[in-house]
Amino acid sequence: MGTEIPNRANFPLRPATVPFGAPRGASPFSASGPVVGAEASAFRPTPPVAGSQVPTPSFTPGPVAGPDAVGFRPVTPSRPGDPAGPPPSASYGPPHTGPFQRFPSPLFSTTAQAPVAPPPVRPPMGASSSPPVSLHSQPQPVFMGSPPQSINSVQSGMNVPQSSVDSPFAAPRPNFQQSSPPIRSTYPAPRGTLQSALPGFPSKQPNAAAQAPSVNSVPFPSQQGGYVAPIPPPSRPFPAQQGGFVQSPPLAAPSGFYQREQMQHPGSMPPMATAQGLAEDFSSLSLGSVPGSFDAGVDPKALPRPLDGDVEQKIFSEMYPMNCSSRYLRLTTSALPSSQSLASRWHLPLGAVVCPLAEAPEGEEVPVVNFVNTGIIRCRRCRTYVNPYVAFTDSGRKWRCNICSLLNDVPGEYFAHLDASGRRVDLDQRPELTQGSVEFVAPAEYMVRPPMPPLYFFLIDVSISAVRSGMLETVAETIKSCLDSLPGFPRTQIGFITYDSTVHFYNMKSTLSQPQMMVVSDLDDIFVPLPDDLLVNLSESRAVVDAFLNSFPSMFQDNMNVESAFGPALKAAFMVMSQLGGKLLIFQNTLPSLGAGRLRLRGDDARVYGTDKEHMLRLPEDPFYKQMAADFSKYQIAVNLYAFSDKYTDIATLGTLAKYTGGQVYYYPNFVSSHKDKLRHELARDLTRETAWEAVMRIRCGKGVRFTSYHGNFMLRSTDLMALPAVDCDKAYAMQLCLEETLLTTQTVYFQVALLYTSSSGERRIRVHTAAAPVVSDLAEMYRMADTGAVVSLLSRLAIEKSLSYKLEEARNSVQSRIVKALREYRNLYSVQHRLAGRMIYPDSLKFLPLYGLALFKSTSLRGGYADVQLDERCAAGYTMMALPVKKLLKLLYPNLIRIDEFLLKTTPLTDESNEIWKRHPLTVESLDSRGLYIFDDGFRFVLWFGRMLSPEIAMNLLGEDFATDYSKVRLTERDNEMSRRLMKIIQKYRESDPSYYQLCHLVRQGEQPREGFFLLANLVEDQVGGTNGYVDWMLQLHRQVQQSA
Amino acid sequence: MVWEPIFWLGCFLTNMTLIAFNIYQITCLSDLEADYLNPYESSARINSVVIPEFLVHGVFCFLFLVTGHWLFFLITCFPAYHNARKFMKRQHLMDVTEAFRHIDAQKRIRVFKLGFYLVLFVFVLIRSFTAGTFSILLSIFHDNNEELDIRSSVLEF
Repeated sequence: MGTEIPNRANFPLRPATVPFGAPRGASPFSASGPVVGAEASAFRPTPPVAGSQVPTPSFTPGPVAGPDAVGFRPVTPSRPGDPAGPPPSASYGPPHTGPFQRFPSPLFSTTAQAPVAPPPVRPPMGASSSPPVSLHSQPQPVFMGSPPQSINSVQSGMNVPQSSVDSPFAAPRPNFQQSSPPIRSTYPAPRGTLQSALPGFPSKQPNAAAQAPSVNSVPFPSQQGGYVAPIPPPSRPFPAQQGGFVQSPPLAAPSGFYQREQMQHPGSMPPMATAQGLAEDFSSLSLGSVPGSFDAGVDPKALPRPLDGDVEQKIFSEMYPMNCSSRYLRLTTSALPSSQSLASRWHLPLGAVVCPLAEAPEGEEVPVVNFVNTGIIRCRRCRTYVNPYVAFTDSGRKWRCNICSLLNDVPGEYFAHLDASGRRVDLDQRPELTQGSVEFVAPAEYMVRPPMPPLYFFLIDVSISAVRSGMLETVAETIKSCLDSLPGFPRTQIGFITYDSTVHFYNMKSTLSQPQMMVVSDLDDIFVPLPDDLLVNLSESRAVVDAFLNSFPSMFQDNMNVESAFGPALKAAFMVMSQLGGKLLIFQNTLPSLGAGRLRLRGDDARVYGTDKEHMLRLPEDPFYKQMAADFSKYQIAVNLYAFSDKYTDIATLGTLAKYTGGQVYYYPNFVSSHKDKLRHELARDLTRETAWEAVMRIRCGKGVRFTSYHGNFMLRSTDLMALPAVDCDKAYAMQLCLEETLLTTQTVYFQVALLYTSSSGERRIRVHTAAAPVVSDLAEMYRMADTGAVVSLLSRLAIEKSLSYKLEEARNSVQSRIVKALREYRNLYSVQHRLAGRMIYPDSLKFLPLYGLALFKSTSLRGGYADVQLDERCAAGYTMMALPVKKLLKLLYPNLIRIDEFLLKTTPLTDESNEIWKRHPLTVESLDSRGLYIFDDGFRFVLWFGRMLSPEIAMNLLGEDFATDYSKVRLTERDNEMSRRLMKIIQKYRESDPSYYQLCHLVRQGEQPREGFFLLANLVEDQVGGTNGYVDWMLQLHRQVQQSA
Repeated sequence: MVWEPIFWLGCFLTNMTLIAFNIYQITCLSDLEADYLNPYESSARINSVVIPEFLVHGVFCFLFLVTGHWLFFLITCFPAYHNARKFMKRQHLMDVTEAFRHIDAQKRIRVFKLGFYLVLFVFVLIRSFTAGTFSILLSIFHDNNEELDIRSSVLEF
């Protein structure tokens, strides 16, 4: 191989590391750019290749990876004067004696290579998973393949100049790079391994220089072991390699980082990826030879489906182990483009989805750091918080900011010496320097006022419809049951206002035994009758609050008032709360009809759909609510809207209150008593989940990159500062970024999310999540590192926003065109080298993108037109989707469909089934067996589907006497038999796995229209429902569009 | 006619006012962009001058109509129409909640308007001269005409 020769030649020389550090370090990623294409061109000319290789040149890097690694190994022993040489040679020697003896031979000429190189090349071909393993297990039976030959001939070409110039090492090296960058870049993977294997020879390879400092001290044998031994049998070579690397001795924070940076090379390199063959390079789907014909012979079973849920790419997190978890921050692609032109070829949104307070599993909680003496360490210029990626220099007296690279002083109290490898000696006691997510306790300078107490204010509609629906009792009951578990115990404040055509205030002063009700009927000029005692400390006034909640549903039992003075009540609530801020929970049952902010029955007009005015329906009608929302946000009030009406309540307008205050919209259409459980659970969760108050969030990123737009439920207080009066774990925020400079000069871009908030306990805190992402100059690399979940999340937010100013149709088309453009761009990368006719190709990382795109079109917020979804429901879904974290969104888009009847019949105890009850089925009618019982779970509701031929025994056991009646009236309750208990247990498990919403069970019998259609069939996203595409047709359509003008 | 110069003087001042309004709004937007103002203040300031601006422009346009300056009326008609439409659609005010999203569009409109008023300003200035507004003004301030004559005659020689 071209690279081996220089290596060998270099060994005796051991030149200084520096000269190579520069070129290598400058653009480690750029190397990956030309790889595939360039390589193809390099190989193509060679005669043997032409026929067999050209169509799939990406194979060639594959074989190379293996042999390279192999080739290097043998080289090591041969190096004169390398003390560490022998061990590896011993381990590798036997199988390869022939070739290896040649390697060392000083005359590494072209002739020598012909036999030499090919042998090592071959083994990996079959055992794709891990080259080193194959080295052991497969001697050399396959040595002479055509690919190796082609490589050979190329090498020989390369070698000549190399060997001729090998002694003046420094000079030729750059030459080599320039003259044949593709080759160089082809081999970084093995080279990387070589480096770690041969620390004594850091300069052998161009990229050695950068690594050398960090690796140097590591003894050779251990490295060797680190690399070879751990190769587990993973399915992909990628992780395998990475795993190997990660096993190398733990690295110091600052220096370790650099090494990681280098390391991801191998990981991201095509050679590794393609060791397996074509499949690693991109995924493809055979769509028949005639594009356009519907009978193209697509195998529906072969279509990619996310049946394992949202599987995150492990490569990235392994590459940067100090990054914060993907729970908190997900980039749409973990490899950022190095230039604007490259960014413009990435047609998907470029950005991040942040869920700052995501629930961490046990044991992975975010550590809290309290800088008592030093104050919080931040960069002087860009205000970045100290994080694992900062580099300490000047023997620990200074630190370099990783975002703006300013050199800051280390405060005296924070000083610690650096050890030989440049890491702080106190590293293990400093979570902020080792973990991507930390929480700082903020001192007084981060407060504009004393931390506010948790404050809950309830604004409850008591008009006739609210009373009739039974909502009042449930709300009162739930609040009462949650009073003990409201966060921030002794300081929590609480208050109530109710309204119909008048506004009622309640004096809950602790000295009273019963709350006093005050009625204000002057709606035009609303005032607060008793400014002080409407908002009381819960612990002091507990008895009064209890008394109120007990009496309040009955108080309005006979209320016949149909009006709703929502606007004035809202103003009153604002006046009461504006001193402190807090959370305002609105229970709204009718369209606001009195006073400011009264709304018209705009109605859902079928004639408007398809016209230019369609989007107006989804836009807030009255600026009053936007203005109120802005004021709420200013005074740190978050609004959660609970809407219950079965009639039109203009959620589009009311929802803005939640949208701009970081709140949430809960919508319970046709609220009847059976929805009580759902309301109870969700209200209780809303009240008791850990909440961050009066928060602001900012995301910082390195030079050259800038966040341009933000999407989610919040209000921007300045260009990049999100005001979030209340945040919790169920909220995620998306943002898009753009490149400010035409060319990025850095190799890595860092992101830092900082959320400054008041915890319920009254402590001011800063939660900081830091992540690093490499910059690449290769488009294929960007696609490979794409994160479908984040992409889909951003795309859906953009589409929903678009549906507010354009027709639904256009919103859907914009998503589709982005997907098509992205796939076309990707196809163009490979179409030159591969015969792609009749195949649809996509990066493996984005294989679910088309399906999620289709699911997005069929989601409640973007589906169809007038008749498909009620307007309110559509808007509520839109508001919900704008706040959903990635995983939940994906589940909503592609729900779980699980067959459970077999499982109910089993007699084994319920412990060992955990895997089985998570087996998901494709969302098509075909997966529904009429003898089965299925559960459909989209995170918001369960649909229990009873097949027509399901054994009556099961139905009878589960439903008792009701099994033959109309299922719409049947409620699922636990009955006294094993089967029913099992079912309830399963449902319980599902609910526990996704506690942010309560999934109400809807029972549906096969063939029971229209309920079956409404609950299940319309949600089977892979089917052709009501004029929408089925999955197969959709793929064909995408494929056609991709090929047009491709 | 003595009304003609006075009319043009009025136009001149109105035009100046409109330009001032626009510059003020653009400044507020730039401040918002540069974080010198928060969206609340910025949009409050802008919104406080939006209606006056529309009114002044309406009066401006109407004056041209009743005085029979058809060309000027036609020219000023377009912005008036634009204003009216915005007002009818209730989109004339800055949206606090989406201030940052619309900042570019809002700025573009205002810069465009500013350009329009500047061009109009040139026309008004020319008409003012031809109508003799400024000579009359001068003659008011310098009531001693003869002195002026002497000076000019001195300059001539």
